[in-house]
Amino acid sequence: MNQRNRQLIPSFSRPASRVMIRKVARYEEELLALIYESLREFQLPVKDKTILLKPNLVGLDPQGVMNTHPAVIAATRESFLKLGAARVIIGDGPAMDRDTQAILESVRLKEFTGKLGKDFCDLNIDDVQRVELETRATRLKELFLPKTVLGVDFLVSMPKLKTHHWAGVTLSLKNMFGIVPGSCYGWPKNVLHWAGIDRSILDINAAARPDFAIVDGILGMEGNGPIQGSPKSAGVLLFGDDPVAVDATACRVMGLLPEKVEYLARAGTMLGHVEASKIQQLGERIEGVKTPFAVLPEFRRLVAG
Amino acid sequence: MPDHLPPTESATNQRSECLSLLRSMQNADGGWGFHAGGESRVEPTSWAALAISFRNEQEHQDAFRKLSGYLHSKQLADGSWAAAPEMSSGGWVTSLACSALAGDAESDKHLRVGLQWICEDFPRDSSPLQRFMRKLRPKSHISSQNDSYRGWGWTPKTSSWVEPTSFALMVLRAAKVEQLPKNAGERRELAVALLYDRMCPGGGWNCGNPRVYGVDGDALVLPTCWALLALRDAPEKPGRVLSLAWLQKQFAKIESAGSLAVARMTLENYGMQAPPAKRNLQDWSAEALAEDGTHVLAWAYMALNPARSWFSVSQETAVGAAR
Repeated sequence: MNQRNRQLIPSFSRPASRVMIRKVARYEEELLALIYESLREFQLPVKDKTILLKPNLVGLDPQGVMNTHPAVIAATRESFLKLGAARVIIGDGPAMDRDTQAILESVRLKEFTGKLGKDFCDLNIDDVQRVELETRATRLKELFLPKTVLGVDFLVSMPKLKTHHWAGVTLSLKNMFGIVPGSCYGWPKNVLHWAGIDRSILDINAAARPDFAIVDGILGMEGNGPIQGSPKSAGVLLFGDDPVAVDATACRVMGLLPEKVEYLARAGTMLGHVEASKIQQLGERIEGVKTPFAVLPEFRRLVAG
Repeated sequence: MPDHLPPTESATNQRSECLSLLRSMQNADGGWGFHAGGESRVEPTSWAALAISFRNEQEHQDAFRKLSGYLHSKQLADGSWAAAPEMSSGGWVTSLACSALAGDAESDKHLRVGLQWICEDFPRDSSPLQRFMRKLRPKSHISSQNDSYRGWGWTPKTSSWVEPTSFALMVLRAAKVEQLPKNAGERRELAVALLYDRMCPGGGWNCGNPRVYGVDGDALVLPTCWALLALRDAPEKPGRVLSLAWLQKQFAKIESAGSLAVARMTLENYGMQAPPAKRNLQDWSAEALAEDGTHVLAWAYMALNPARSWFSVSQETAVGAAR
């Protein structure tokens, strides 16, 4: 296992996190320059490193509504290579459908990235390694996680901006469900549902510790997400060096209260910052891009104001 | 079994390349990983076993003996198989391992305890306690499933899902009557009912959520194929006809090798000709198939091979079921 920083730091002794919001109206815009410039501002330690981009590839999606858009994935990959990364792998383990290739074909990933070969990893069928869950938010005690995820130098969670019918929102933390291998836990990864979705999100993120997050909010999904919701254009990309802070900011962009999202509130005590005062805001101001997202009645409590 | 592929030289060559590559990917411990050089796992080993087991040549028999040795060695004390090395509890791959060993006389004792575990493995969502607790709550508007039906989960003590239920049904069908535990018939009936209950409204299956929050779920190719294969000898119902029609219509749009291979075998299993599709299995080289995983290479090899006898109904089981 790579020795990335997996220390749990309480909120009060953690330095401020940085989150950048960029306006992007359409996927056809010049994404490479925008993403490259945005990443460069963070001065990330990626030179000569192996990076894993973990997009949200949840299902067959020819319309580009439920999955992280391939244009964003490809431009991010290219940007990290331009920043000096030795290798950039794209990997996901779709949760509901084991035919990952069918999902990749449906989103036309190769048309954007070119042939990936071994630079795409189906995390559902990667070799696995036992990881003890130190946070014990669930009763699971251990998870078997892909060796690729555990072995890279820098892990980037790349979710879509979506509401979720069981967790409230699905952003960079919930996106990490996709690293849990279906070959061990099934399609869906039902053991995580029985262990508690909110608690599982904490255990998985504490074990894998994504280093950075990029949220595709150019076109998001509201209502009955993550699959059957309605498309919702928010026209933003979010970047940040603290996935918790990125998710909290994304909630605020969606007009939702991050403190009311159960797993985010708990993540704010050990994995990152939820409080706005501890997040250094770069790029656009939240008020300037705020786009209220509809939620299911069960999650009305999340709606701000 | 009809072979709808044109008997061309290229098809024959591709079959032979697939088999040769599959054989070369066998690890020294007798098992297969999901990729060449990967750690041996029960699932890819089982699919490889199903692909090569019917061949009579000595070299394939030797390979089968090695893989059966691997599977024997990985069986846990309770009769189950775990999905990954070091995992201490068994799960859905037990059905695949049992399928792989079903025709092997030397694996009889392993098969019997495996089948025993399968028949004793009940999902938690339909336990009497869970059902009682559900009755106390307001009626759920999230989904409307009949919780008196019981199939199998991916992992023990979770919920029933379409694919593990289908795999279990298939091995209960493939095993000989005398190898089956006493409650096998009852488990089959409940599982068949569960599969029909979980069918998507327009035919076909997804993982097992036909309707969530009032919205119809979309069917997917692989779960539909496994469910149809599992229901092959179940009583005819309109749902099965509808699902076959869904699969036949969907076939033309399939773009991945794995789904194409399994869908072809499923339709042929029902005596139906696979319609023309956007892609053909022969579009992929053996190496490209292996990149998608050993299971995909094994499925493709089986789909390309007219001599396969995949998940065929054991004569004795068929007689037993008819009684």
